[in-house]
Amino acid sequence: MKRRTFAWFAWPSVAVMSVLMVFPLVTTVFLSFNRIFLRDLSSREWIGFQNYTDVLQDPDFWASFRLTMLFVAAVVPPHLILGLGLANLLDRVRRGRGFYLAALLLPFIVTPVVSTLLVRDLFDRGGLLSWLWEVLTDEPFVINSGNVKWAIILHGIWSITPFAVITFFAGMQTLPEERIEAADMDGAGFWAKQWFVVIPHLRSLIIFVLLITIMDAYRVFDSSFVFGQSVGDAAHTLSVYNFTTAFNAQIGRVGKGNAIAVLIVIGIFAVLIPFLRKSYQDQIAER
Amino acid sequence: MKQLRAAANTMGIHTTLVIAIIVSSVPFFWAVQNSIKFTRDTIRSTPTLWGYDITADPYRKFWFRDEDQNMYQLALFFLILIAVISALVWASRRADTSWPWNLGVAFALWIGLQLFPRFFDMNREFDYFVNSVFVTVLTVIISISIGLLAGYALARYSGLSGAVILIVALAFRALPRTAFVLPYFIVAKQLGILDSRLVIVLALVAVNQPFTIWMLRSFFMEVPREIEEAAMMDGATRLQAFRMAVIPMMWPGIIATSLFTMLLAYNEFLFVRVLAVTEWTLPVALSALTGGESTTTLTEGAAASVSITLPIVIVIIVFQKHLVKGLGAGAVKG
Repeated sequence: MKRRTFAWFAWPSVAVMSVLMVFPLVTTVFLSFNRIFLRDLSSREWIGFQNYTDVLQDPDFWASFRLTMLFVAAVVPPHLILGLGLANLLDRVRRGRGFYLAALLLPFIVTPVVSTLLVRDLFDRGGLLSWLWEVLTDEPFVINSGNVKWAIILHGIWSITPFAVITFFAGMQTLPEERIEAADMDGAGFWAKQWFVVIPHLRSLIIFVLLITIMDAYRVFDSSFVFGQSVGDAAHTLSVYNFTTAFNAQIGRVGKGNAIAVLIVIGIFAVLIPFLRKSYQDQIAER
Repeated sequence: MKQLRAAANTMGIHTTLVIAIIVSSVPFFWAVQNSIKFTRDTIRSTPTLWGYDITADPYRKFWFRDEDQNMYQLALFFLILIAVISALVWASRRADTSWPWNLGVAFALWIGLQLFPRFFDMNREFDYFVNSVFVTVLTVIISISIGLLAGYALARYSGLSGAVILIVALAFRALPRTAFVLPYFIVAKQLGILDSRLVIVLALVAVNQPFTIWMLRSFFMEVPREIEEAAMMDGATRLQAFRMAVIPMMWPGIIATSLFTMLLAYNEFLFVRVLAVTEWTLPVALSALTGGESTTTLTEGAAASVSITLPIVIVIIVFQKHLVKGLGAGAVKG
């Protein structure tokens, strides 16, 4: 394809991304150096790095940072293992596969705000899990600022695992039967087959899922926001802390909010740069 | 002995899977139960799993202004709608060219949506539902249209700028919504277009574009170049070849990508919450209903949750095969 044709085909998409992503991002960075409030967006004052020092000295920032890190660390590895395991089982059943798949997909497709409310209801007074807890430990269960992080993490694993399951399951469908048979001939056991045949076949998929879920877990918003409605700040991840700082009804600190957003972006890129470099090299090699 | 072991193995697999689907569906099971209970049955200290009185009140309270709405009328309305749609689907399966019938299905759904508030006295929540549908459909159409052009170009062009665009797009995929939403808010406010559904659509199209072009591109990579080269030999221009020869082979990819875009738009919370003041979509309406000082009961919240979930579940069940295929062949090659 000629360069000119490429430009003709690609420009609408590139224009949308430049106008609605590059430009806002530049604005965000610019505003993060200003003192500016939500109630009067037209007046602003350049204050250099003051917003950043403000944020870095804010204990709420560090609390939400710790919660976010805990969330990523507690959600990503288990969901990967669960995803591989369940995909494996799905791959080995013949009967009822479609049904299992549909039922397993449910947590992934449902609106996160809704699913968080449903999980919250389970833990609420009179809820199924709260009752179970009381039966097992003899103590009533309520979600409070101390244990809310585990509810968020549980909801995270529950809602994100189906994505890994269907991706890995779809990947397993493309694994040639002969390779499994060859491994059988060599006398490989179940785990050996997994380790030497299935996982290498899924390698690029595993990296893909890892990349996507790290991104999504790091910026998790909806579930943290909904739990925050009932227990307050303790449920706030970085994104929600960012949102409440900028859009607080009384004092929307837009400048500070933007500084938080910039810090979040820097954080994710620190993790992503190696991945991005690798993808870039792959792209170049492909050409 | 070996047979016995194999049978035990199969049993084990099925048992594990059943446990897994119980875990994944317990919250929904509980919500459906709560949505048809009276409040007195939801606040007992031991959960009521059976033997309670059933009511449609929570649904009435969420959707209808008239709290005594006759639910049989509603059932009749849906029965007629389902009958019309099944007839159209049946005809589309039979006919040689299915697209006019498929268009008929979309049209029937649209008519149904228009007629609904004429027959029933609906709450504001119905407007939010209409907004949800509007935002979702428009986001999918715009995203996929411009994404198809770009995805095709990126699959066929071998210059360096293609690689750069792809990587920059991947980087954008990682950014949090909060990095964009403030500038959107400020610009929309200054232009006086805050609180319009179009702003939400634009914002959603933008943040979804990286994913769309990556996924569609990998589907285009699967379409052999010879297809369009043959068409161009016959005198078609590049655009004609794209439209007549390549797009017809892309439908599985288009459907899979559309499904993901649909989920993203229908489920969006943050953008709507910030950019809409009254033109909410359902997730924001629900969070306003159940959060903070609101006095909504658990049962009404459950009824709302079930109502919001149902449309998406129906769509996914209808297109489930495409979703799985899409993940296998699509986004994953990158």
